[in-house]
Amino acid sequence: MGLITILLLVLLAGAILSLLTKTTAQARGVALVSSFGALAISILMYLMYDANFNTVTHYAFEESGTWMPSIGIGYHVGVDGISLPMVILATIVCALCTVFSWTESKRPNQFFALLLLMDLTLIGVFVSLDFFMFYVFWELTLLPMFFLIGIWGGPRKDYSAIKFLIYTHIASVLMMLGIFALYYFHGASTGIYTFDIPTLVNAYKDGILPISQFWLDFIFVTIMFGFMVKMPSVPFHTWLPDAHVEAPTIGSIILAGVLLKMGGYGLFRVLLPMMGVASTWFIYLIALFGLVSILYSPFAALAQKDLKKLVAFSSIGHMGFISLGVAASVLAGMDPARVVAHTGAMFQMFSHGIITCVLFGCCGVIEHHTHTRIIDDLGGLTKKMPKLAILMIVGFFASLGLPLCSGFVAEFGILSGSYHTMPIFVMLAAISIPFTAGYHLWAVQRTMFGPYNEYLGDVKEIKWFEFLPLAIWTIIFVVLGIYPEPIIGMMQTTAEYFLLSGDVLPIGGIHVAAGGAFPW
Amino acid sequence: MSDVATATTALMDFRPYAHWIMLLPMIGFLLELLIGKYWWRKGGMFATLSILGSVIISYGCLYNVYVQHLGFWEYSWDWFYPGIVAGFTIDPLSLAMLCMVSFISFFIHFYAIGYMSHDCAKNVYFAETALFTGSMFGLVLANNLLQLFIFWEMVGVCSYLLIGFWWHKPEAAAAGKKAWMSCAVGDCLFLLGIAMMYTIMVKQGITTEIISFNNIFQNLEHLSHETIFGMSALTIICILFMCGVLGKSAGFPLHVWIPDAMEGPTTVSALIHAATMVTAGVYLIARAFPIFLAAPNALMIVAFMGAFTALYASTLGLVVNDLKRIFAYSTISQLGYMIAILGCGAVLGVAAVAYALFHLVAHAFFKALLFLSSGSVLHGIGNVRDIKEMGGLLKGMPWTGYAMLAGALALIAFPFTAGYYSKDKVIEEAYIYAVHDGGLGYLPWIFLVLGVILTATYTFRAWYLAMTGEPRSYPAIRPHECGFWMKTTLVVLSVFALGLGFLTADWSKGIISGLFSGGAKFWHFLEETFVHETHTASGVVYEGLNLHDIALLGGNTLMEHGAHPPQWVILLPLILMIAGLAIATMVYYKNRVDVSKYVKKDNPLYQILWNKYYLDYIFKDIIAEKIIMTVFTFWDVLDRYVIDGVVNLMSWITIQSGQVSRKLQTGVVQNYATAVIFGVSMLMILVIMLRGGL
Repeated sequence: MGLITILLLVLLAGAILSLLTKTTAQARGVALVSSFGALAISILMYLMYDANFNTVTHYAFEESGTWMPSIGIGYHVGVDGISLPMVILATIVCALCTVFSWTESKRPNQFFALLLLMDLTLIGVFVSLDFFMFYVFWELTLLPMFFLIGIWGGPRKDYSAIKFLIYTHIASVLMMLGIFALYYFHGASTGIYTFDIPTLVNAYKDGILPISQFWLDFIFVTIMFGFMVKMPSVPFHTWLPDAHVEAPTIGSIILAGVLLKMGGYGLFRVLLPMMGVASTWFIYLIALFGLVSILYSPFAALAQKDLKKLVAFSSIGHMGFISLGVAASVLAGMDPARVVAHTGAMFQMFSHGIITCVLFGCCGVIEHHTHTRIIDDLGGLTKKMPKLAILMIVGFFASLGLPLCSGFVAEFGILSGSYHTMPIFVMLAAISIPFTAGYHLWAVQRTMFGPYNEYLGDVKEIKWFEFLPLAIWTIIFVVLGIYPEPIIGMMQTTAEYFLLSGDVLPIGGIHVAAGGAFPW
Repeated sequence: MSDVATATTALMDFRPYAHWIMLLPMIGFLLELLIGKYWWRKGGMFATLSILGSVIISYGCLYNVYVQHLGFWEYSWDWFYPGIVAGFTIDPLSLAMLCMVSFISFFIHFYAIGYMSHDCAKNVYFAETALFTGSMFGLVLANNLLQLFIFWEMVGVCSYLLIGFWWHKPEAAAAGKKAWMSCAVGDCLFLLGIAMMYTIMVKQGITTEIISFNNIFQNLEHLSHETIFGMSALTIICILFMCGVLGKSAGFPLHVWIPDAMEGPTTVSALIHAATMVTAGVYLIARAFPIFLAAPNALMIVAFMGAFTALYASTLGLVVNDLKRIFAYSTISQLGYMIAILGCGAVLGVAAVAYALFHLVAHAFFKALLFLSSGSVLHGIGNVRDIKEMGGLLKGMPWTGYAMLAGALALIAFPFTAGYYSKDKVIEEAYIYAVHDGGLGYLPWIFLVLGVILTATYTFRAWYLAMTGEPRSYPAIRPHECGFWMKTTLVVLSVFALGLGFLTADWSKGIISGLFSGGAKFWHFLEETFVHETHTASGVVYEGLNLHDIALLGGNTLMEHGAHPPQWVILLPLILMIAGLAIATMVYYKNRVDVSKYVKKDNPLYQILWNKYYLDYIFKDIIAEKIIMTVFTFWDVLDRYVIDGVVNLMSWITIQSGQVSRKLQTGVVQNYATAVIFGVSMLMILVIMLRGGL
């Protein structure tokens, strides 16, 4: 039994045990042991990554076994330089979330069980190398989140929870159609019916499927739609602000911090090798989705009156950078720059996951202490909550792309690395920077600075169990902003493998039209 | 024996420790933030002492390079992406900045111990200024564009935080945001320029130190063939860099944030918005000077923007009544002089960098002095900033008054003060540029010369109104003089504001010639930048550049050394300065002219100046509030009702169709029977039609 299986079992056992407890303290204790155990295992995996790396399949800690051999479903898990950081991200976020909800008193046993289940399913998505497992975990993530919103959510929780469930579920069903099509076409042509991700994806990439361009495109578009809704990319984003506004703080943190990353992760794991075999203008479509999200989010965020909704829109913009970076890096061009863009896009996933936790955490603390999130009702909170002010200012600056925070490293990589293949896209994306700065600073100014709004009453300073996770997240993104090598190093190796080895993409990238430039 | 000498030399070699210049204040920042509150005077010690450490290393490096001739030094470590390094460079250009920044920052911290003594969040203030100082060192030491940009943003964020240090004042918070936003407009373009530079450098096949300055300089010949949209890539990159400079160094039209930034503590205005941070833009052009030189037309744009800003801002200084804002406009104007002379480098070559840097250093001393003495005024009369409410302060606060006089004399370039050597040289050399270029080339020189008379007038308008005459408000009747910490700083800075020229004079030519050659040593030292080789720790030696060849790439021809402007050109700024001084004396000291005749609402000229050429109005009321507000309100409607509307419409359709089908389930057998019969008959019709029957 490998480390990944142990990791999943620890969380499963924690979830079941926590459901059986009676009080907050018991449930919390179980959740703490289980989630920090998972964190310890993921850190252990990080330390042992090189030793367990399989240079043939390019995965570490790979385990494969049969499950339902008659229809080609196997138990196949493994991590590489993109999925291991995501596993670490998921365990860090969920472990600190258990600390953050120290005093949860409403149905504590179910709450902590769902939290652990959330952690379990997210990690399941990131480690699965079998489409069936991948899809099952992908769908299972909806359940804990649906209940977290539906039970612990705000006033319009029913509408939001159902909208979240149905919207993302429809996207998943479409994705399933694509996966089934891939499965059947592969089985029909080779006689081997399997859901194994590397096998299917390589078959698609190598062009051994005897199907027309229409079906190639069909598979690509359906799977892409599933990922784009999850990321979410404009115009499929409207479920996200609603879900965030009604979700409890923990729900928002996990939703924005880890759950959205599933879409980005799918882009790397499944879609990347398919690019170029499907119609090449889909690459530009993905970049366009990214660009539109980047330009759309600051304007939408400026209009928001609810602090949490503002932060939700900032996520949409930051996720757009990932699409842009991935799309730009697969086109033919200069290899060092492509690797930088690709690594930047990978790092943006991790970096945004950590930074957004601080932002939503601060929103949650403000809501919990002042009982409002409407920006105009706040003001001068620095007077009552100086510690929160420091965290929030650092977090907001990191989010707007301040250097020496991890977000800048990622965005610099994406912009510099993408310029040679998509100059116009990068120029337009750069325009968003002042607007992004604008809504962040305006929000900080109206909540933290200026005279204190006395109608808020005597607001208490942030509590230790709220402060501690936020401070740790802050330290993580600052340290990674100053020295990103621990995470970026393994990402870069994987990016070089994806882009340059020829196993995943044609060496030197995909040539589009004449001269590698799109005809517009 | 030689071993001992080598060992001694190695022991005295500060150059490999240059990164500690940056790191020490950063450590000071952490200590101040975490434990500063519990130590001496509740804050200030860690910051001030750590900067003293930076002063020692900076001057040690200066000793190594200037006295011991140990050569220019550069070293770097791999940072994140391949080819992106954290690197530090020691050459005359960075040394001039390091020595100035460390010295002035140390004394401003020293002053702030007294000035901020009553503030309850003192340790936070000192933590932020220490972080600022460390970031400024990082910017100056950077050997590559990205590191420079990183610290460029870091000094920006410190500026934001310190402008809004008194966060409970709404105008302070708004001013901080305005500062960041004005800079962000320039910075996003600067970042785009860096991305372009990265791309064209990678295109040359360069894999290490991709965007290091020296590496770029070595490859300028290849880079000059690159094009973007049919234009020279270098020119576009330089224009994008220039946009960053306009934001940070307050060039027209992005200068609007500096006057508002005066909401911060006066020490912050002195440190950040007069002496150091705002000169970062000038430093960027100086550091990237060979790139600008190799880019066609880039330096011309620099010269025109700089000269226009210099004149433009000095007209605004004439009408403002806020003491600190007068000096803020004068800062914008003086930065314009520096940028303009760098633009004249298209003819003057590296000498232009030397002249700009000397004016930068001299300006840092006298402008810091002016701000600190106005801080002392504010401290002494209870934060009154309107010069109309001052008057006669010289009697109550002579130290402050005479310190401000020293600063004012240096600012207007009174003979033998620091400004006389720095600014008059800038104007003389701009004339040489004008003669060389002819035609429109005269424009920068004309702007700069006209700026002189206005500078003298507005500076002494402020000094006379504040210091002489009768007190015009209650607080001004009994001002109290500043204490030990502040007085010491004022004296030290006054000495430098008056005597910096003598410090850098070439006395070897004799007393009289020496008196008129102030700045000579400084210029000779700075002119070695770029043209001498740089050694690196990795063993690579960057050859000195031949700037004449590089200039040819950009279509510029450098002039040989030794051109002298005619005597009247040298005397003209002096005469104009005396004229401006005379006007101010007549109007505001002798009161021979009644200005209230002109300072009226119905005077259109006064209206335009008072409203700052309506630029603030355009930016804030029209662009920010009308256009952007409208756009994003529309955007919200789009998001809520169009995009989400489609989603909700689809779910509504689904639900409605569900409702319809639910109504069918009535539970009445007849209805089901009807439906079944209807369905079966429809199916039969369909089958028959398909089989082609009937």
